Amino acid sequence: MMNAIEIEHLTKNYGKNRGVTDVSLKVKEGDIFGFIGPNGAGKSTTIRSMLGFLKFREGSIKLLGMDSVKDHVEIMKNVGYMPSEAWFYDAMKVSDVIKYAADVRGLDCSEEAAKICAKLKVDTGKRIRELSLGNRKKVSIVCAMQHKPKLFIFDEPTGGLDPLMQKHFFELINEYVDKGATCLLSTHVLTEVNKYCRNAAIMREGRLMMLDSPRIDDDTFLSFYEDEEV
Amino acid sequence: MKTIFLKELKLNFKNLLIWSLAVGGVGLACILLYRSMQGEIAELGDAFSDMGFFSDAFGMSTLSMATLAGYFAVEVGTVHGLGGGMFAALTAIGIISKEEERHSGEFLLSMPVSRKKVVAAKGLCVICMLAAFTLICGCLYALGFVSMGESLPGGEFMKFMCGQFLMNIEVAAVCFAISSISGKNRMGAGLGLALLFYAYDLIGRAVPDLKDYLFIGPYSYVNASEIFSGRTAFASAFIVAAAVTLCAVFFAFWYYDRRDLAS
Repeated sequence: MMNAIEIEHLTKNYGKNRGVTDVSLKVKEGDIFGFIGPNGAGKSTTIRSMLGFLKFREGSIKLLGMDSVKDHVEIMKNVGYMPSEAWFYDAMKVSDVIKYAADVRGLDCSEEAAKICAKLKVDTGKRIRELSLGNRKKVSIVCAMQHKPKLFIFDEPTGGLDPLMQKHFFELINEYVDKGATCLLSTHVLTEVNKYCRNAAIMREGRLMMLDSPRIDDDTFLSFYEDEEV
Repeated sequence: MKTIFLKELKLNFKNLLIWSLAVGGVGLACILLYRSMQGEIAELGDAFSDMGFFSDAFGMSTLSMATLAGYFAVEVGTVHGLGGGMFAALTAIGIISKEEERHSGEFLLSMPVSRKKVVAAKGLCVICMLAAFTLICGCLYALGFVSMGESLPGGEFMKFMCGQFLMNIEVAAVCFAISSISGKNRMGAGLGLALLFYAYDLIGRAVPDLKDYLFIGPYSYVNASEIFSGRTAFASAFIVAAAVTLCAVFFAFWYYDRRDLAS
């Protein structure tokens, strides 16, 4: 089975500040991969490097078999990304934002978007500035999923979502993964890792460590965070 | 790219209307007030024409304010030059950086579009906004001449408006480059820059030692008094303007494509 994500020796620093150091990671196609770690450990830096928001000089990243730098545009056609902070253009209506995301991709995603909006109960008539964080997250989910990408990258996706919406969100992920998609899920929620992820890795102080199993208990999970303080 | 361009136009449309109607409206009001102020203006023009450097700075030594064309060049030329420069600066200074300031950059750049195309779409939007601004203001000024029953000095008027459009592009290009570096909307810096360019030209015309260096500033080739009195700007001014514009735009593309984006 091909690797959907293949990171080799990625190092990214912000001037003198540490970002990530020598990170290597492989995520197989069809996986739901949990990416955990304390705040500032380097999860977002890794994700943002993968998506081309950050420019790195050391290491290489391949997504869906393509080079993340050279084939950026081609890769993004098949990636659905949801940032931890779901921000859009305040003055736009939800329906316009969703259509705009599809239009930039040159696709008509109206049918899929309507299906996801119905499942997540998204009010498409409101303006973005009228939405709470949870509702903005729902719009972000629609934008990330409506084009049926091969690879999902979610950065703390469930913060702000109510439990029912969280359930619907994971149902949607499972539905797409069953059809062949892959999902990288950055999260602080142990139950999400235990319940939905098939593999997992932890980041601490900019370094990555694979976990033998995503089925971990509370104490082990918290120790990843506590160790940071020592 | 087309979708991003159209979205930018839509988001900036209200600003375009406000600025073009405000600047064009003030210019139109100035023209319409000409008849009622004609006597005072003629006296004022005579008085100001003998004020040495000050008269040079505002072009009153070369043009008679007793004619509508002369009055237009001195009064509306100042209003449009300053207003247009400020509008150009404000439009361009935030058009790229707003994505990071308002945290929408990740949404935009997570789509299958290169950063170069994003910059191109935004640059194109700035050019269209400035063209529309010039057109709306130009129509309002022409309406003023027609309302006053005066014939529009077509050649000079077109030269003035086209020159203003080019000057606005130059100011916008410099601000566009700043926008590509910054993660925040530097509105104050943009306005300050436009005012600085204007002040440089004003001072340069008043101080004899600076006259040889006027061509560096973007206002040097759009002095309404010079245009309406038939004088042509130095070719060096256009060469500097073209060089500054091209370098600034090239820098915006180059820098934005290689920088880290804030979340």
